[in-house]
Amino acid sequence: MAPRIGLKSLEKRRTLIDGVRSNLHVLAIGVKYFVNPRRMTLVYPKEYPRLSEGYRGFIILEKKKCISCAACARICPSAAMKMIRVMEPDPKHPEKPRMKQYPVINYQRCIFCGYCVDVCPTEALYHVNYHDVVYDNLAEMFWDLDTFQKEPEYKTALEGRPVRIMVHEELGLIKVPVGEGG
Amino acid sequence: MSGEVRVYGGWRDDLGLKVIPTRRLARDVYEVFIGPQHPGSGHMRIIIRVDGDVIVEADPDIGYVHRTMEKLGEIRGWIKPIPLFERMAIHDACNITLPYVRAVEKLMGVEAPLRAKYLRVLLCEINRIAAHLYGFAIFGVFLGHSTMYMWAMGDREVFIQLAEELTGARLTHSYPIPGGVRRDIPQGFPDMARRAVKYMRKRLEEYRKIFLDNPVIRSRLEDVGVIPKRLAAELGIVGPNARGSGIQYDVRIIEPYEVYDELDFEVPVYTEGDALARTYVRVEEIRQSLRIIEQVVEWLEKKPREPIVDESIYKKYPPLHKKILESQGRAKLLPWMATMKVPAGRAIGRGETGRGEIIYYVESDGGMNPYRVRIVTPSARNAIAFKYALPGHRVMDLPAIYGSLDYFPPEADR
Repeated sequence: MAPRIGLKSLEKRRTLIDGVRSNLHVLAIGVKYFVNPRRMTLVYPKEYPRLSEGYRGFIILEKKKCISCAACARICPSAAMKMIRVMEPDPKHPEKPRMKQYPVINYQRCIFCGYCVDVCPTEALYHVNYHDVVYDNLAEMFWDLDTFQKEPEYKTALEGRPVRIMVHEELGLIKVPVGEGG
Repeated sequence: MSGEVRVYGGWRDDLGLKVIPTRRLARDVYEVFIGPQHPGSGHMRIIIRVDGDVIVEADPDIGYVHRTMEKLGEIRGWIKPIPLFERMAIHDACNITLPYVRAVEKLMGVEAPLRAKYLRVLLCEINRIAAHLYGFAIFGVFLGHSTMYMWAMGDREVFIQLAEELTGARLTHSYPIPGGVRRDIPQGFPDMARRAVKYMRKRLEEYRKIFLDNPVIRSRLEDVGVIPKRLAAELGIVGPNARGSGIQYDVRIIEPYEVYDELDFEVPVYTEGDALARTYVRVEEIRQSLRIIEQVVEWLEKKPREPIVDESIYKKYPPLHKKILESQGRAKLLPWMATMKVPAGRAIGRGETGRGEIIYYVESDGGMNPYRVRIVTPSARNAIAFKYALPGHRVMDLPAIYGSLDYFPPEADR
């Protein structure tokens, strides 16, 4: 089993009858899809795709797990993630506050490559499986430490109903409402 | 004589006088600028000179080639350029980054395990089909065949869906990393891929009827934009355009990378060299890519799961990383990879993207950044074909030739 070159050549210029026949083929296909159209329209936002669990959507921080190693900020290709210093009470000495570093993210720059999630040694970062979230202004896309710990409100899910996009053998992409075998 | 002073360019001579080279144009030759606003052309234009309706001279003006990718590649470490280089041909993301990753692997002395190689080939072929379908869509709409545009764009979505299931992103997968890949196949992926393959086979039959055998399309493509074999070799044209001219050149065959030498597929070569032959090469390539996907998916399903990163990296994995790799099939990166140093040396990575051969020359001086990343993209090599394929044809043939060459400006502009 090895790849090989396949020498081929085109059909010769054809006769009038062949031309008529292929014209009829074209028309037949046109009629077929006119009578039996194959459409897959996602009526967004009334329907929205429920993306798979592995989808690389918005990135959220679990602050408890963070060990301030800054690996996420160092690997970020678009410099969207930065470390900030926060004063917080030390669990060992409650009376003495300590300085700790946490990552924050700027979603104007994020390209959703997911390197930060993959590089985090303690799984403190994770993806949610959506990223159609709208912001009123650019300033809101700078997430501070508090915002970074909460999953953004998925407003599409409040109005629409989820469908799962699947591949069908005959129809190509199809949508299946979630819950009915999806 | 009017029209003989062309005021771009020029220099000052020894006396300080401005010298503007002029050239006498024939009296009844008009210069027409196709682009840069031409739909589908991007930031590139073709200056054609027409005598009546016949093109007598064509000049592909690709504008300023910034080499931003190459320059940015020198300041971002070793792993961060991967998402950057994807932006050259965003629907061909795995194909276009894989040679870079392979070049870095050569320098680091690591090698992807067999399973990771199969996974890379899987995504490469999914990308190749998606890239060809994208090309078809643009080609169809250039020829006024908007059905083809809708169909090809719609069917491309199937393969984007496959890639999304596999990698977690529709287009910018950032999938290969030095030493392996980032994810294993999810549950249910093999069946999904087989359904997509079956669907696409049926669709190709319909494509043949409505597009390739359509008498209107045939008469617009047959014997149009012929690039003879000798000329194609002299110009250094690569990819499906070269194979449409009868040149038996495919990196997957002459220098098999990953697991291409273990797979059973054909590289189609047509000898006619016209627009129709180039189109047929792409159709056949889609068919062969479907075959490859079937074989790869079967292999991946049959063989037991193994680590998808190199052993030297896997050895350094803490228990948490190993657990995640087992349970979620997600290969984590190690923190030192962000600022890793790669031993000094030079490496070349070659690969066959949807549009042709891509070459990366990567040089390391032992530091945290590449010393030099030279990229030669297929579209940059194919752009010159316009100059020789266009003359002698009518202006209405220009979209047909443009579409059949499948030129992609962002890739050429790297």
